[in-house]
Amino acid sequence: MNDVQSTRRKVEQGLKKRYRKERLLRYSGLVATLLGVAFLVVFFATLIMQGKSAFQQTFVALDVEFSADLLATDGVFDPAFADFDSVVRNALRAKFPEVRERRARRDLNRLVSVGAAYQLRDLVEANPELIGTRQRVMVPASADVDMVVKGKIERSVDESQRSVSDQQMLWIDQLQADGSVQKRFNRALFSNGDSREPELAGIKGAFMGSLYMLMVTIAIAFPIGTAAAIYLEEFAPKNRWSDLIEVNINNLAAVPSIVFGLLGLAVFINWMSLPRSAPLVGGLVLALLTLPVIIIASRAAIKAVPPSIREAAFGLGASRMQVVLHHVMPLALPGMLTGAIIGMSRALGESAPLLMIGMVAFIVDVPAGITDPATALPVQIYLWADSPERAFAERTSAAIIVLLGVLLVMNLTAVIMRKRVERQW
Amino acid sequence: MSNQLPLECKVKSAMPIAAGGDNEAVQPVPSPHQSHDREKRVNKNSDSAERFAQPDAETVGEVTCADAHMSARNVNVWYGDIHAIDNVSLDIARNQVIALIGPSGCGKSTFLRCLNRMNDSIEIAKVTGEILLDGQDIYRKDLDPVALRARVGMVFQKANPFPKSIYDNVAYGPRIHGLATNRSELDDIVHTSLDRAGLLKEVRDRLDEPGTGLSGGQQQRLCIARTIAVNPEVILMDEPCSALDPIATARIEDLIDELSQNYAIVIVTHSMQQAARVSQRTAYFHLGKLVEVGETDRVFTVPSHKLTEDYITGRFG
Repeated sequence: MNDVQSTRRKVEQGLKKRYRKERLLRYSGLVATLLGVAFLVVFFATLIMQGKSAFQQTFVALDVEFSADLLATDGVFDPAFADFDSVVRNALRAKFPEVRERRARRDLNRLVSVGAAYQLRDLVEANPELIGTRQRVMVPASADVDMVVKGKIERSVDESQRSVSDQQMLWIDQLQADGSVQKRFNRALFSNGDSREPELAGIKGAFMGSLYMLMVTIAIAFPIGTAAAIYLEEFAPKNRWSDLIEVNINNLAAVPSIVFGLLGLAVFINWMSLPRSAPLVGGLVLALLTLPVIIIASRAAIKAVPPSIREAAFGLGASRMQVVLHHVMPLALPGMLTGAIIGMSRALGESAPLLMIGMVAFIVDVPAGITDPATALPVQIYLWADSPERAFAERTSAAIIVLLGVLLVMNLTAVIMRKRVERQW
Repeated sequence: MSNQLPLECKVKSAMPIAAGGDNEAVQPVPSPHQSHDREKRVNKNSDSAERFAQPDAETVGEVTCADAHMSARNVNVWYGDIHAIDNVSLDIARNQVIALIGPSGCGKSTFLRCLNRMNDSIEIAKVTGEILLDGQDIYRKDLDPVALRARVGMVFQKANPFPKSIYDNVAYGPRIHGLATNRSELDDIVHTSLDRAGLLKEVRDRLDEPGTGLSGGQQQRLCIARTIAVNPEVILMDEPCSALDPIATARIEDLIDELSQNYAIVIVTHSMQQAARVSQRTAYFHLGKLVEVGETDRVFTVPSHKLTEDYITGRFG
């Protein structure tokens, strides 16, 4: 009897200690999770705070005189010879008639973007009847004006320490006072390629470069990866060679990505003479990079197909290929696609191998094909982060937001596909 | 010959000097491949008025039968170094149910899977001896296991319908073998197969629904329907009722009874009652050996081998 009671006492004493340990474990887990979430929140918050202003751009309303003297000197409008720069300058001069001095005029001209002339040219090309008329047109302000309007340039800083002079500040104030300054959605960010002028720089070139690259990557990595996975799982004899291959595929997944870039440089550019800076080569390199990821995920998906399904098909007299095509593949396909998308999102975020194959370059034109010179989103972010102009800082953040958005959409697709595959049989 | 097997030795030493009287009637018929030496010994034992056959006898009972559809001769199976099936010879008669019974791991499922070469997919498995289907060896080089499996169908322990519709489950076999030339023929095959499996009434209005949505017993009948849709000659069943409740089991057993009019059926079962109910012949396996085979009624009432009696009376297994 005594024995029973002492046992009970011991158990009850130990109970407290056990619960204490459990609590400790639970709380440390909770703290770790909260810490992770906090880092994420800080990361996204700073990113959005810094980047959100880049989605807007300051525009200046100008009364533009489309004078035939400047635009159609011989009575015929020819965009190659039309002097739109003077049209813009005249419009500014009309706005501030008191500015006479040559140097001051140059400062005045710097208020609007050099892109204003191109914008007017496009406008007139589309509507030649505008020549000879006077129109109120919104033209993009220069990046400096944009920064002042957005409050990113401190007025208290000494004039010599900032890129906007006191005189220019006054003009901006005047423009704001008469309501000719307006912030609008920054379409250039999404419709332009890279530019030296921040207000004209956009991510379309990098985005299209990434897109072409991913197209090449998926077109190569998915068929090869799934075929390899099917062969290794369903057909390969289980011997020392297949073990060796398996180990090497797993090792390949852990190889630093820049090594793949070196490989691409040596094989695709130097030996096969493919064009450098092209999404074709980038896609090939990223395909090598994602291949092990896709193979590993696909093999896991094939392994997850219940053996009973295979047996049932074999028992009915299905051939090996029929078992694979009719039963294993349909059941494994969502898992394979999930693997492919995870591989693709890894490829999308990769920049190191692209540096090796010349995709880190200032490329203004939006690539029109897989052999055009291009850059990629992560590389564009790297390039902009390196630029000294103030306005590129917010554009860097904006580009990161776009990249993360694309990644988020891709991963969401992967999650939805995984949910689909989780069905009963 | 195989005295080295520990269990047999034990049985031998523990065997009482039986005081049976009716021993003459159940004298084992020596299998054709037994050696002369053994035959002599068996005869000597019969003189000593023992009820049971010599424990190390290869197989007691009639391994052959008059109307054999499949005959296994001296079949050995190795999984790597493990000798899973040891020199088994057995005939499977036309339009008859034969039950394979025995304790777990005795090789009855392995033997069953040899009959339609399902062991081929296991790389370490090695099969020797010959298994004849209508007099032709199914392990010969030029025989395609795919064609064989269309003739020898299989129903598995756990119902394993494809994650497709009921219709597609049944239609799959006929489709891959090209048994139907058009849709109405295929419809016919599917309906007849489901009808013969006793499932048509329950699923007639929901052929498009997934086969996995049926109850366990229905799923197993669907699997049987799927198997008979390719019109096989022999049906192998590997514990088809082990996951089912008694009512579903009874339905499957009735079905087996009906099917035996047209097919040779080999059923592996752990339930002795089931073996007694559905089969005409019973084969008892023990540690990879076929210990005894005979008419079901005889095996369950007057087993000729000590191991068989121990098993069916529940002393082990």
